[in-house]
Amino acid sequence: MAVLNFTLSEEGVSVFHDALACMFKFSDDVCLEARSDRLTLSTINVSRSAYMCCTFATNRFFSRYNFEGNAQYRDRFFCQLWIKSLLSVFRTRTGGGDFGRGDKDAAVESCDVAVDDGPGKKSRLVTRINCRNGITASHSLSFEPKAPTHAKFDKSTARNHWTISSRTLRQLMDHFQPGIELLDINTDDESRLVNFTCFTEKIQKRGANINEAVLKKPLHTNIAVEMDEFDDVEVQDKLHVIISVKDFRAILQHAQLTSGDLTASYGDPGRPMKLSYSRDGVICDFILMTVGEKDASIQKHKDSRAKSSDAAKAGQQAQPGLDSASQRPSSVTGKNVNQQTSERPNQPLSTPTRLPAVRQPGFEMRPPPLPAPVPAPVPPPGSARSDSLFVQQDDDQDQMWEPVNQDEEDEEEATDNSRLEWNATNEPNPSLRISSYLSKLRPEPSQDGPAEHLASGLDPTQRLSEVRPLGLFSP
Amino acid sequence: MRFRTDLKNIRTFSKLVAALSSLEKIAWVRLDNDTVRFTVIPEMTGSQVWASLSLDLIFDNYHIQSAEANNTINLELALVPLQRALKSAANSSYANLRLTKRDGLPMLSMTIHTMTKDGGGGGGAAAAAPSDRDNLPRGTAGFNSTDPFADNFQQESLELTMKRELEKVITQDIPVRVLHPETVETIMQPKVREPDVHIQLPPLLQLKAISDRFTKLAMTTSSGGGGSKTSNPKLELSANMHGSLRLRLKAETLDITSVWTGLDNPALDPSHINMPMEEHPSVKFKEAGPEKWATVRVDGKDWSKVLSVGRLDGRVIACFADEHALILYVYVPHYEEVGEDVVTYYVSSFSS
Repeated sequence: MAVLNFTLSEEGVSVFHDALACMFKFSDDVCLEARSDRLTLSTINVSRSAYMCCTFATNRFFSRYNFEGNAQYRDRFFCQLWIKSLLSVFRTRTGGGDFGRGDKDAAVESCDVAVDDGPGKKSRLVTRINCRNGITASHSLSFEPKAPTHAKFDKSTARNHWTISSRTLRQLMDHFQPGIELLDINTDDESRLVNFTCFTEKIQKRGANINEAVLKKPLHTNIAVEMDEFDDVEVQDKLHVIISVKDFRAILQHAQLTSGDLTASYGDPGRPMKLSYSRDGVICDFILMTVGEKDASIQKHKDSRAKSSDAAKAGQQAQPGLDSASQRPSSVTGKNVNQQTSERPNQPLSTPTRLPAVRQPGFEMRPPPLPAPVPAPVPPPGSARSDSLFVQQDDDQDQMWEPVNQDEEDEEEATDNSRLEWNATNEPNPSLRISSYLSKLRPEPSQDGPAEHLASGLDPTQRLSEVRPLGLFSP
Repeated sequence: MRFRTDLKNIRTFSKLVAALSSLEKIAWVRLDNDTVRFTVIPEMTGSQVWASLSLDLIFDNYHIQSAEANNTINLELALVPLQRALKSAANSSYANLRLTKRDGLPMLSMTIHTMTKDGGGGGGAAAAAPSDRDNLPRGTAGFNSTDPFADNFQQESLELTMKRELEKVITQDIPVRVLHPETVETIMQPKVREPDVHIQLPPLLQLKAISDRFTKLAMTTSSGGGGSKTSNPKLELSANMHGSLRLRLKAETLDITSVWTGLDNPALDPSHINMPMEEHPSVKFKEAGPEKWATVRVDGKDWSKVLSVGRLDGRVIACFADEHALILYVYVPHYEEVGEDVVTYYVSSFSS
């Protein structure tokens, strides 16, 4: 009998995928925690400055849900999984659903998930995607029995809070230029406005020409939103809290997909900030580290960030060892965390108190999947992989005015193997080269739009994207 | 030193900046009582642009004050942030620009009053359709799920209670350098002799598509033949005083030509010419018949950047000085008022 067993609807699959995609911007792995009334996915980034947690209400979100406690997992089951593998399980399906709107058969109908674990059993999470056309795809994922680390947020210290439509907030973010790092959420002294200020602390290269460097600074953007625009707003005067733009973007990207209103609550600068939103049976909470004034503290923050990320890395490395030692988990981890907190008193996270104190002796110990859990150069939280949230700099119409001088194009040309040239090999069929060259020039239907336009008998070597603006084709 | 103005025709302004920034990332802006001038001079080789605009094309409520003659202010600014800021202002209800200082550094500060896209300034009806979900009061989401039809009902009933969206005020600070008059007085607009041929160019999108195609072809063939990759392909441009424009690519292995005919050779205004009309070179070229071409060679990639000015939708007159120079006058239409402004491109050209 499986420990955990549930079924996701078609929509459930995509909600799951969206949540995981957002988590992937913060971390590589996710902790799954199942209880009889709720299922929780949570993750924390390596520098431990951002924590995300999605809670799914079992009676509302799942079409079927069954948690069967056993000796080992009495009230809850937990494990840690690779987000990447989960994403690939869900991704293709939802993608396929979007693509072939006409091809409804290929769409996902439901997804069954079962987790098997316990003494003498093979520990696997098995997913089965059922498509409408009757095809099923099963995936069996291994996992690590690791208890989730939850960040604690003390509501009583969070005196400041507001609620606003996540879509509005997301669209405001479009006004920020790429390349900025920090977002300062602040209020003026009359408490009429909430300002979102984006800036960067990146020190420009003080090269030979300092004047040029001045011009290379990115835009400094401030967005003032009237208090009236917020619901349930209460913010101190002249308060500045600073968070990472990338984290904030990742959150908004997800928030606008999932739901309407986003609530933020926070205390003094340097204390954690909580952002949350919910939708039918799903609650998403984020806890982010904040910093205060934008002067020296940022530099300090960055340093401690680096340090703590080292510490976190060390912690990660230490953890699997701990598990196998299984006796005194709290001492080493505790020390680790203390060290962090002493470096940075504002560490938002509580000591991971819920580490499994006692392991079942009969428990099958998997060798720690090294070096996997420590991805080589750890990217800063949410940075490397966060999709750009910006609207494209140029819409299509602008694109056609771009000069031909695109470097990428040069590279493309340079690597173009089917270029028209004499065949150096002794291949007997030189004309093949030319035809392959022509086919290279011919627009690829997937890229340049419907290929049937070519039926008008135009020179096949014209790129469609070049010809279309001439008005030769009706779109 | 003070400068403050409201912005109008932001789309035109934005397109101009986009066209300029395809040539060079940094521009010199000269503001005075009468005009605003954008000058772009590429650091390496390339075409330069002198865009002299009347104030009421893009500005409104214009105030300027400085110690220099005619209240001149010279600024140097990066075009990409300016473009970005203008993009922010694209759908604004109001935007202004002023010279200010932040942390001791000069800034052009753009203040933008805007709504988010789905907000809409009008009544609830206009804004409701796609966005009402977002504006539902909190707490209804749970209620929603118990009733499969609830969604539909709420869209109608809650519209009245929907919070009206308020205007947001966005401030974009663009870093600038204030230039000393001495540093810019040596930069002079190029002087070119009277042109041999002046002709109105065909739609730039067409010209650009074909030019780009030629350029790409030239790049493919030259690199394939092991030729020098260092120099960009050159295109040969010729025009006569009988309405024809010829674009030619001549390489080792190919020679292709596109010809436009029936183009307009606009009449010259005698008041602008300080020589007898019949002595003007263009008159001589006209008399010499349609086989008399004025020719220049341009760098294919640079030419493509120049043609990006087509996004301004202006009339373009090309002036050819045979084997010497090519100048483009781009007339920027004023949409509301009558009148035109001219953007001048000194296209870098090469001798054969």
